[in-house]
Amino acid sequence: MIDMPARGHGALTPPSPRGVRAAVGRVLHAGVLVSAAILLTGYLVGLVDQPAAFGSHAVEQAHLAAKAGFPHSLAAIWDGIGGGSGEAIIIVGVLVLIVTPVAGLVTSAVAFARRRDWLFTAISAAVLSVILGSFLLGWLTA
Amino acid sequence: MFDRRWHCADQVCASGEIGTILWCQAGCRVSPRRRRADSRGARPELVPSRRLSGCPNNYSMWFVSIVELSLVLFGISILAGVLGSLLGVGGGFVIVPVLTLVFHLDVRLAIGTSIVAVAATSCAGAARNVTESITNLRVATFLALATTLGAVTGALLVGVFDARFLFALFGVVLAASGVQMIRKHPTSAGKGASPAMETASVSTGAAVGGVRNRAIADRLALHSAYYDEAEGLDVPYVVVHTRLGLALMYLAGIFSGLLGIGSGVLKVPAMDLAMHIPMKVSTATSNLLIGLTAAASAVVYFARGDIDPLIAGPVAIGMLFGATQGSKLLRGMRSARLRVLFVIVLGVVAVQMIWKGIG
Repeated sequence: MIDMPARGHGALTPPSPRGVRAAVGRVLHAGVLVSAAILLTGYLVGLVDQPAAFGSHAVEQAHLAAKAGFPHSLAAIWDGIGGGSGEAIIIVGVLVLIVTPVAGLVTSAVAFARRRDWLFTAISAAVLSVILGSFLLGWLTA
Repeated sequence: MFDRRWHCADQVCASGEIGTILWCQAGCRVSPRRRRADSRGARPELVPSRRLSGCPNNYSMWFVSIVELSLVLFGISILAGVLGSLLGVGGGFVIVPVLTLVFHLDVRLAIGTSIVAVAATSCAGAARNVTESITNLRVATFLALATTLGAVTGALLVGVFDARFLFALFGVVLAASGVQMIRKHPTSAGKGASPAMETASVSTGAAVGGVRNRAIADRLALHSAYYDEAEGLDVPYVVVHTRLGLALMYLAGIFSGLLGIGSGVLKVPAMDLAMHIPMKVSTATSNLLIGLTAAASAVVYFARGDIDPLIAGPVAIGMLFGATQGSKLLRGMRSARLRVLFVIVLGVVAVQMIWKGIG
């Protein structure tokens, strides 16, 4: 029923098929669950294992220092996780969250391609390349 | 709930205490007794003996335990998440003022947090609505081209224009679209009274705009239908003025890139007013769009170190929870009510922006 186009309008073609939408929905949902789990874990780890690190928080530093003291590179995150840092784990959860819409986009691109909807495969790919381009641009300029 | 201890000092004290966090708060709150002591030239005694690196002179400090802070942020974020996913605006309009005005967090960190909040709202809000076809995936994908390109353009243009002028301009644009949303009800039939009414509105829409305005949307197969739970029926709709919508989305993207804000408040009117997409579909689709735009800029904020895990963590969890509730609420809400709520929030954001431009 939901997929039905408007009645009496011959020009209407069916909207994106349910399969595509369901796939995107599943990816987004998975991203939400995974990141929520990681965020909670990181928070608890930080609270239990390293209360001191959590306590000497960098808010006040941020007023003065140009760069705040929390992990902001992949290497720092990797080291942080190795050292059981709650902050690093939280950042991983945040990154999962940020990447989730992009993963949804990739999923829809693949799903469109499978259905030979080349126009929308191309549009999804173009959006994806703009986003990846700005990832790179941001990474290099920051 | 807060363990509030105010200290007014020219020397500041450290938070080193385990499990506490310290905020610098502009302005002093001195008890009258202490003020009298001050006027006699006596030095107000400083309660804690630890010293703190960060606080500027004459700032008072506010101690809250980490758990308390997280709970407050969590609670506010649930509210922001419900509103953000319901209206497709992300929720930064709640998070940023709270973090900067109440907690006096550096605006850089507040914006970094708000980007994370937008991503959270977008994912949690869209997860189910995409499957249920309330979010129009094709419209979202197509318009994302314009918003992401706009965001990149905006990011490249940072510094070219005066930020204050831009904030004021954005506020005026928002106010104008709010007025338009009150005056016009292009999708009023989209509230789905009856299929016949819907068809009537669709044909008037096509007649007013001419068939040409549908051409692009026809070719891209953007038209769709959604099941309106509040009305209990399927609501088909026809998308028009795709080119105008695309241009407005590009503009919205430029604003978000330039000002570091999610611009869902501009995306929803663009879809609702220009493209004649039903209100519910507009907010749900905007919800998906802002996640993509936020993702494009979030990496910059992360790499710059603007994302503070201790703030962003509780906010993200709260937003995820709130946005999930918000998307449920959206399905059952009547479009007319949604529109009123949206216009109110639009007004609030417009005032915030104009205030930033003037202040």
